[in-house]
Amino acid sequence: MNIADIPIVGDLLEAGAEDWVFDSLLLIGPLLIALIAVIGRSPITTGITAAYLLFFVAYVLYRGVRS
Amino acid sequence: MNEAMETIGRDLGRMLEALSGLLFVSLLVPLVWGEYWTMPALIVSGLLPLTIGYMLTSQFREATQPGKLHGMIIAATGWFLVAIFGSMPFLLIAWTVELGLPFVETPAQTETLAAFTQPINALFESMSGFTGTGLTMTDDEAVLPRTLQWWRSFIEWVGGVGVIVLTTAILARPGSGSLTLYESEARSERIHPSIVSTVQTIWWIFILFTFISILLLWVVGMPLWGAINHGMTGLSTGGFSITDNSIATYDSAAIDFALLPIMLLGSIAFPIHYLILQGELRNFYTDLQTRWVFIYMTLGTLVLTALVYTSDTYDSLFTAFRYGSFQFVSAATCAGFQTAVDATNVALGRWPAQAQLTVTFGMIVGGAAGSTVGGIKLIRALTLLKGSRFRIADVFYPRTAVRRLKINGRRLNDQEMRQEFEEAAIIGFLWFVFLGLGMFALLMVLPQGEYTLENVIFEVASAQGNVGLSSGITGPESLPTLGKITFLFNMWIGRLEIIPVLVTLRAIINRGGLYQ
Repeated sequence: MNIADIPIVGDLLEAGAEDWVFDSLLLIGPLLIALIAVIGRSPITTGITAAYLLFFVAYVLYRGVRS
Repeated sequence: MNEAMETIGRDLGRMLEALSGLLFVSLLVPLVWGEYWTMPALIVSGLLPLTIGYMLTSQFREATQPGKLHGMIIAATGWFLVAIFGSMPFLLIAWTVELGLPFVETPAQTETLAAFTQPINALFESMSGFTGTGLTMTDDEAVLPRTLQWWRSFIEWVGGVGVIVLTTAILARPGSGSLTLYESEARSERIHPSIVSTVQTIWWIFILFTFISILLLWVVGMPLWGAINHGMTGLSTGGFSITDNSIATYDSAAIDFALLPIMLLGSIAFPIHYLILQGELRNFYTDLQTRWVFIYMTLGTLVLTALVYTSDTYDSLFTAFRYGSFQFVSAATCAGFQTAVDATNVALGRWPAQAQLTVTFGMIVGGAAGSTVGGIKLIRALTLLKGSRFRIADVFYPRTAVRRLKINGRRLNDQEMRQEFEEAAIIGFLWFVFLGLGMFALLMVLPQGEYTLENVIFEVASAQGNVGLSSGITGPESLPTLGKITFLFNMWIGRLEIIPVLVTLRAIINRGGLYQ
């Protein structure tokens, strides 16, 4: 099955940096924002958000070092 | 009707259809926030471009693909049309409150919203939004309904990447003349051989970075609604805010410093972002424009910090650095967020003249071509500098010497160099001509003695560079109608890099090309 065949998000994933980690971050982003909207600011949501951001930066650096 | 008009009509229709999509998507906001009274205005605003767009596209479905002239005319007229139809929510929502709606309770009218009952103010706001300028006719953004706060942020976000890029990503098919349109919207670099794939990847990067920006702002303490709006307008380097005093409202050094990388992300070209995400980090320094984004921002920050510190504008070096770095990066990335306002410290319009002119310089040059910024763009400024040095040094070489000008890893021969230098010089020249004309018009209409010359230069450079910083001139009452019309023109030509607008005006005036 082709990535582009996945309903709703197929085209979006197909268009990206051809990396499933970045694709996952893209899909998790709105869910995390929705979670924050529902729960509000708490140590848990702050921690998850900080982890998301740190993971993004770390992964960009990791890809840079690896290549 | 001739072939050219059909092609232009078909593609304008597509742009209007895309705009109506944005308006219908925005219906989610009043649903979530319970602002049901804004929904009829949004629906009417969406139906209007949808109907006209559908009529145009279906009528001219078989039209030929656009050439260079058509592309420029489509880009220029398309952006103007989108600004006109994009002003409908401002106008209709303001009138909804003014007149009231049967069966639905509308809130009390505010002075801020009432300003949009005048079409010129609504059009100004829309043009400012779509072009990513950020100058506003809103007195107090905080009292606007959430629907309009969202619409302002949303149009800046879309405008940052480009209306045509959006239309191409959604509606175009491969080989449908998209390249011509893409290039007409002040873009040239490609990520993939296919232009449709390129614009889809640009949107992919832009959406991912938007989430990153929103979450970063929220983590450092901004409320979620503010983070969503400022994340969108910061990344698109638009600069609309949802608070009365822009970012100064939060008065938080953490938020100020968190916005710096967001604005910088918006000022780096999308193809470079793509390469960096692919792991090619060396592009941070090997790409000429990206390297200079950092050099130029650092130098500007240091100069501005020194100027505001030594002139006793701020009493501590850290405060001078905080405001100096933010305002220079905000200006040079063309974001236009403001932290130096009267409510919290010394307003930009009351900074020393040399500091205001340093910020003005930042606005004129702008960031990297192929990003979301305005201004002349770094690559043109560098081409002019390197080209001038090359020409001067030419005198010291024998006539037979074969020389190459090296720009961004490319070795240009004499003809290529002339071509690039000429393009940069023409745009630079036109930029300053229209800056001068804008200043002249503003000096004519503003009350004598109320604003200094540096205030006027600052404001016009801000409008034309699509920056949005204000020395206090722009406002529904403070800026006369002729000034608003001047700024509408400045913002429009600034976003499209002048030439497409001039080509369109020429075509309209003497029908050149359209009736051949």
